[in-house]
Amino acid sequence: MPDDTTYLRERLGRLGLATRREEEIFRELGDHLVDHAAALEARGLTSDMAAREALDSVSNWPELRNEIVSVETEEAIMNYRTKVLWLPALCAFALSMVLLALLQIAGFRPRFYWLENGLFIPFYVPWLLALPIIGAVAAFWSKRAGGGVSHRLLVSQAPAIIWLAVLLTFMLISLVIDRHVPLIFKLHGMLIYIVAWVLLPAVGLLLGAAPFLRKPQAQP
Amino acid sequence: MTGIDSKIKRGSGELAILALLEREPLHGYEISKRIAQVTGGVLQFNLASLYPLLYRMEKRGWVKGKWEEAQSGRQRRYYHLTPKGKKQVAPLRAEWGMFFQALHRIAGVSHAG
Repeated sequence: MPDDTTYLRERLGRLGLATRREEEIFRELGDHLVDHAAALEARGLTSDMAAREALDSVSNWPELRNEIVSVETEEAIMNYRTKVLWLPALCAFALSMVLLALLQIAGFRPRFYWLENGLFIPFYVPWLLALPIIGAVAAFWSKRAGGGVSHRLLVSQAPAIIWLAVLLTFMLISLVIDRHVPLIFKLHGMLIYIVAWVLLPAVGLLLGAAPFLRKPQAQP
Repeated sequence: MTGIDSKIKRGSGELAILALLEREPLHGYEISKRIAQVTGGVLQFNLASLYPLLYRMEKRGWVKGKWEEAQSGRQRRYYHLTPKGKKQVAPLRAEWGMFFQALHRIAGVSHAG
């Protein structure tokens, strides 16, 4: 059996892994087949027959390829998503909440914007002003970890997205519990909270993330 | 081992490999040879069944492959048992012990260990 990996590459094809890892796998599997063929030769088989039998020991090459690729990429995908999406998104949300709590502890009170019908929008101005920094940190983090533009956008918007989910949940609960309150009031209140706690923060977060949302320029 | 379900084979293979590497680091071909020798050919791992298993164990951090010079002078990828892998040996032994005891109770299947 030739001491190279051409015959392996013909059967397995490209694995689509990092070049170094792919070389390593081909080399290792090649070594195994060479040893196997040598053992068969030692038992009296001709060189050609031993090589053929060693190769025939694998009955399904595409299945072997799929198994190797699956093992090699399964964890990589999980790690990749964790690094570029979940971790920066959760940290951005946690950071925004910690900041809000600190501002409240420090005595900052919300500013109220009164509407004509007696409803009001509460604004934490220092918090809103700090959100671009959190958006920038989250998008930069995801970019550094290798995240694409969509990942960077999502992580930078994580605090606003989570707030939206929380508000919608409360809205659904209140639809069931507070049946005596007219629906129009609930929808009005919901809209106001979405503006104050989702849309405005989303704009602030987006402003901070904007410099990190550009696609890299193609090299000429 | 062609008739044995691949999950059972994989599970038993993990314990077999960890137990072998507990004694000394081995390269892939040597692992398959030793398993066949020690089990009298009952457990056999060829290239297709061994390497996905080794790579999965390596991903979990149970074993670590390193290129080292073999006695023949060739560079081979030797698998070393990691501290994390060492911790897996006792629970896996216990699991398989329980598995065979359960089989013994149901079907009268006994095991040497």
